Amino acid sequence: MTTAGARTIRAGVMVLGLLLLSCSRSAPVPPPQPQTHTIVIEGMRFEPADLTVHPGDTVVWMNKDLFAHTATAEGGFDSRQIDPGGSWRLTLQTPGDLPYICALHPTMKAIVRVRTGG
Amino acid sequence: MKVMYVAGLMAALTIPAAAASAQAVTDPQIAAIVVTANQVDIDAGKLAAAHANNPEVKKFGELMAADHAGVNKSATELVTKLKVTPEENATSKALKAGGEKNVANLKSLKGAAFDKAYIDNEVAYHQQVLDAVDKTLIPSASNADLKALLVKVRPAFVSHLEHAKHIQGTLAKGK
Repeated sequence: MTTAGARTIRAGVMVLGLLLLSCSRSAPVPPPQPQTHTIVIEGMRFEPADLTVHPGDTVVWMNKDLFAHTATAEGGFDSRQIDPGGSWRLTLQTPGDLPYICALHPTMKAIVRVRTGG
Repeated sequence: MKVMYVAGLMAALTIPAAAASAQAVTDPQIAAIVVTANQVDIDAGKLAAAHANNPEVKKFGELMAADHAGVNKSATELVTKLKVTPEENATSKALKAGGEKNVANLKSLKGAAFDKAYIDNEVAYHQQVLDAVDKTLIPSASNADLKALLVKVRPAFVSHLEHAKHIQGTLAKGK
């Protein structure tokens, strides 16, 4: 191979390398900033009743009802009693679906889904 | 005894259609009905919390006492704000008398018989109160805030009714 040919190949490899480098810099989606989501408890309902969050996000349950409530996931989290006008917050780290109820009023059912990506 | 009580309760909460259309209940009367209906269930709930045999029934009694006290707190705050003086009427008086009769009946019972009588009555009571809220109280309320309060507490009566029916089913299976 001639010196000029070798130079051309080296230049090509460098350009390709730079291209790959720039691609590798822009391709990964930065991890989302932790967000805070609010679930309002009112009229014997959790609203929204189905919420999807990312690991690291915080969920705040605000009780705007006339009665005390809880947010209780069997084998998972338990707010204990949230009095009217009160709130309770929880930061969720582990991916998975967390169905929960109000332990005082078992007819109240909802779910929080912790999902990576998207 | 229980059948008589439930029949009396139904009569208390059923405002004849002709009377309701000719002369709808007034806001001061609605206020008295709401406060009395809640107080009746608080009294029965406290009794169940103290005397029920089944832990689920006991817990339900505690919940009824707490939730209906919550409704009455809001109702009292609202009527105070609106300067409405609750006005006793045939329905509120019948509710009070029915409640006293129910408590007297429950006091004569023990164990599983107490639990069954209390829960059966709670199912009938919440169904009747719900009907009264839908057919008479909400349509008759003229003050927007009073109507809004009735609308806001309605889901609690639905939830209590479903909860009581669930316990009723559990007690029946346990036999």
